[in-house]
Amino acid sequence: MKEFMDFVTIDVWTMIFTWGNLLILFLLVKKFLFKPVNQMLEQRAKQIEEDSQGAAKARTEAEAMREEYERQLSEARETAGEIIQSANHKATLRSEEILNEAQTKAGEMLKKADAQIAKERQKAMNEMKDDISDLALTAARQILGREINSADHERLIEEFIENAGEASWQNQ
Amino acid sequence: MERALILAASAIGAGLAMIAGIGPGIGQGYAAGKAAEAVGRQPEAKGTVTSTMLFGCAVAESTGIYGLVIALILLFANPLIKLL
Amino acid sequence: MNVEVNGPRIMFRIPILDGIPVTETVVNMWIIMAAIVLACIWLTHGLKVKPTSKKQIVVETLVGMAVGFVESTMGKKFRHWTPYITALFSLSIISSLSSLVGMRPPTADLSVTLAWALLTFVLIQGMKFKTNGFLGYFKSFTEPVVFITPINIVGEIATPISMSFRHFGNIGAGMVITSLVYGALGALSSLVLGAIPNSFIASIPIFQLGLPAFLSIYFDLLTSFLQAYIFCMLTMVYVSNASEE
Repeated sequence: MKEFMDFVTIDVWTMIFTWGNLLILFLLVKKFLFKPVNQMLEQRAKQIEEDSQGAAKARTEAEAMREEYERQLSEARETAGEIIQSANHKATLRSEEILNEAQTKAGEMLKKADAQIAKERQKAMNEMKDDISDLALTAARQILGREINSADHERLIEEFIENAGEASWQNQ
Repeated sequence: MERALILAASAIGAGLAMIAGIGPGIGQGYAAGKAAEAVGRQPEAKGTVTSTMLFGCAVAESTGIYGLVIALILLFANPLIKLL
Repeated sequence: MNVEVNGPRIMFRIPILDGIPVTETVVNMWIIMAAIVLACIWLTHGLKVKPTSKKQIVVETLVGMAVGFVESTMGKKFRHWTPYITALFSLSIISSLSSLVGMRPPTADLSVTLAWALLTFVLIQGMKFKTNGFLGYFKSFTEPVVFITPINIVGEIATPISMSFRHFGNIGAGMVITSLVYGALGALSSLVLGAIPNSFIASIPIFQLGLPAFLSIYFDLLTSFLQAYIFCMLTMVYVSNASEE
């Protein structure tokens, strides 16, 4: 025998069951749907926070490292520039020194050579003078046939030489 | 005899109760017309307009539903028959 | 063909207090609750911080939608109401949709919707009491003038009645119309197949196969969703209004 309620009934027991069911479902949904999902979301938020913090830290570190490297690089550049500059300077100094030395040496050599030449010429002239005086003396003796005293002799030679003129000798 | 009278009167009453359907019909038609106008004026707001209209229609429908419930009570769960 | 529209069948009676009747409504509701809870357990099983399955995306979207629904209607301070609204909404919509698999929908029973609406009523009054205090609560009925008090009281009482009748009426009417259509189609098929002198073939209600599905789209799918939505929406709107000074 099937028992039916009326189509439109207000059954207190059904209402009580309904309240109980809704309460139970509320608790179960809270426990089985919202609790795990919220837990997971919290965990995710925490992890994202951690990740972003880690990323920020890593970025700061990278930034510091980059600055350090840049500083080192510029320092190295500076040093290199300094080295090159000092090398240039040194080279210039050295070349000037060498040049100066060479010039001095050359000048000295030139001077020495000049002195030598002058000396040689003097020597040659002296020899020539002697030769000429001898020649003149011989010639004169032969012409006069007599011996002039020594003093006259010397004077005559001197005169002769003066008159013959140095310039004419030298210019030939 | 009395039972037949009550049943007949209940059937007529159920029919009369359904006259309540006129009101929601007019109201919902008006709402739908306005919604169509709104969509025509602002086609980008179609989703919002449609959901608002459906919500309004379903609330406006309740008077018709009351009439329907009365009719259903008279037809299927007649309380008057039990008074005999 | 005889079409009977009955209330919920009494499945059994608990033998205390001269037999507590347990109706089809309650039994179906238990089945639906079990389904919802199992679905929750299945959906939240193996949640990971980094989503790897589609299941997790679905459950996250659902929870996000529920929270967004409650927050956009009631405001951020009522966020903790989300589980209650979710339980109410899911129970309501799955109950109404259960007619698709041939169960008698629990929401087609006035006792159920009235119970829910009375709960809403209690929540509204409790929230008003909490907000306005003892004197303020009773004083709020005399606003704006004293002689309007009876109308205010009737207005308060009308809320659960209108909510419960709306939900029950929609789903119940859908159920009645669906059963009438089934009856009519059964009669039609027995009329058509009655010409065949085989009693087995003649008893097959061939027209019941497919046609009612189109009616179900309106009477079950749309109405179920809309009524569940409206019931939860009205509950939230009334409660959050009651919490305003």
